[in-house]
Amino acid sequence: MPKTTGHAKNQGGFTAVMRQMSKNKAAMLGLLILSTEIILAILAPYIIPYDYSFMDMANMFATPSFSHPFGCDDMGRDIFSRVLFGARYSISIGIIAVAIGSVIGCTIGAIAGFFGGQVDNLIMRFLDIIQAIPGMLLMIVISAVLGPGYFNTIVALSIGSISGMARMLRAQMLKERENEYIEAAQSINCSKFRIITSHLLPNCISPMIVSATMGVAQTITMAAGLSFIGLGVQPPIPEWGAMLSAARQFIRQAPHLVYFPGLAIAVTVLALNLLGDGLRDALDPKLKN
Amino acid sequence: MLKYVLKRLIWMIPIVLGVAILVFIMMTFCPGKPEEIILGPSATETELAAKRLELGLDDPIVLRLGRYMSDVFIHFDLGKSWLTNVDITSSIKERLPRTLMLTITTLLISVGIGIPLGVIAAIKQNKWQDSLCMVLALIGVAIPNFWLALLLVLQFSVKLNWLPALGIGTGLAGIKYYILPAISGSTGGLASCARQTRSAMLDVIRADYITTARSKGVPERDVIMKHALKNSLIPIITVMGTMFGHFLGGAMIIETIFAIPGMGTYIIGAVNSRDYPIVQGGSIFLAITFSFCMLIVDLLYALVDPRIKAQYASGRKKRKVKANA
Repeated sequence: MPKTTGHAKNQGGFTAVMRQMSKNKAAMLGLLILSTEIILAILAPYIIPYDYSFMDMANMFATPSFSHPFGCDDMGRDIFSRVLFGARYSISIGIIAVAIGSVIGCTIGAIAGFFGGQVDNLIMRFLDIIQAIPGMLLMIVISAVLGPGYFNTIVALSIGSISGMARMLRAQMLKERENEYIEAAQSINCSKFRIITSHLLPNCISPMIVSATMGVAQTITMAAGLSFIGLGVQPPIPEWGAMLSAARQFIRQAPHLVYFPGLAIAVTVLALNLLGDGLRDALDPKLKN
Repeated sequence: MLKYVLKRLIWMIPIVLGVAILVFIMMTFCPGKPEEIILGPSATETELAAKRLELGLDDPIVLRLGRYMSDVFIHFDLGKSWLTNVDITSSIKERLPRTLMLTITTLLISVGIGIPLGVIAAIKQNKWQDSLCMVLALIGVAIPNFWLALLLVLQFSVKLNWLPALGIGTGLAGIKYYILPAISGSTGGLASCARQTRSAMLDVIRADYITTARSKGVPERDVIMKHALKNSLIPIITVMGTMFGHFLGGAMIIETIFAIPGMGTYIIGAVNSRDYPIVQGGSIFLAITFSFCMLIVDLLYALVDPRIKAQYASGRKKRKVKANA
């Protein structure tokens, strides 16, 4: 059992995890792809060759060439610039939605897991109801209520990720709560808040980090899916799903419109999954294989 | 066992009631006025008011909720579509089988390819076959379903003209309409099935009873299929249960792409036209379908593992199921 307090363990843990992970080539590849994408997304306004909404009718449906590496879309807009700029939307939706969802979900899960009894029962039965609705359907209904748009999509997706996170942290808490160091903390009169935040949470956090990483990947796909059916981010914003949705009607005449936004999603999700796998192996060697 | 199934079925009632209430309340917060969408932009103020009165939109929400719940759960009537006036229950009866057909085909493809891939990866651990399977699994997780759907349509419908890109067919010939949708929906589940099978097999394969089986001369094929795979089925079934939910949700987008008139296109269309009764009724039916599937998963546990069966019989199932999840 860990003897140090959560805080100290966490700090020592980070370097140890990074050292462990640096041996894992796949995870490092994922980290490399992801950080490159994030840097490109941040720098996008300065490095894209054309403005993402610049229409050049002469180049309508232009196929990939030297001046337009990914070609041009139905309005002559440079797809390379749009995909690069779209990374800002797609990746930020994933990260922000999961961050919000995790914070709320962990709070709910911690309350349920620590207090148990009636509180736990009430929360879990409510989550049972939410989880009886297939995920995508729930997302569609929530987006219908909130209306389309960038921020509303983030809110919808974060609401959607709450129940999974809550359930997971609760299960961790129930396991961790039985340990002797919790009994020790209780016997020296630690407040409940302190026991949860500085004793229980740090010891439950590793699986949560892994599932948050995977969650970002899933959320990016879901956001693109919502935009694809017209309920998420709306055109002309170059979110990848919205781009695919617009490209769909030209699939016969200009298939290259479909290739690149989808490839961007796939590469990002792949990188996040590699990273998630690596983190899991590094954080919890027991889970390996 | 029967008692357990009954208990689970009874437990479904509050869940379905909860889903109905939740979706009803969410839909009332939808922006946009249904009466304006139904009557179109040319409607006059009086016509709008008359429509509101007809649909009962002016009543307090508690009253509307009460009326809806009594219609649905006492009279078993989901109402009629606000837009087309078609009975919702009969529409669902026609559409749900298509969605189920798509979902089950997707599940069969995932399991049928995912489990063998996982088994191969596990018995050839750390060899090239293992790496190949796991790379395939990673790609499967990463590819967005709707993108794969577009690529498949491009290749097999537009370029090769082998399979239809849109709609549904009748009879046996109708199966070919489900091939592309099911393949494009299956990759994520296929990949997680392969990964779960591999890790479950690796856990089991080092167990003493596998060594015993080998040492008493059981053929390797039987060791893998009868001893190892059978004992690693529990986590695989768990994954299948969650996969079914994903597929059911994912089918909504896939149906839109392939223009399959199933539950997905029905609900998405209704969301866009603010046809609340359809969204509510559709969600209730999908929730019931999903809950039934989870029940089947739990019963499969018992079928695979006699220990769990014994627990169901003695009513101590809850702890064990949680420990497995």
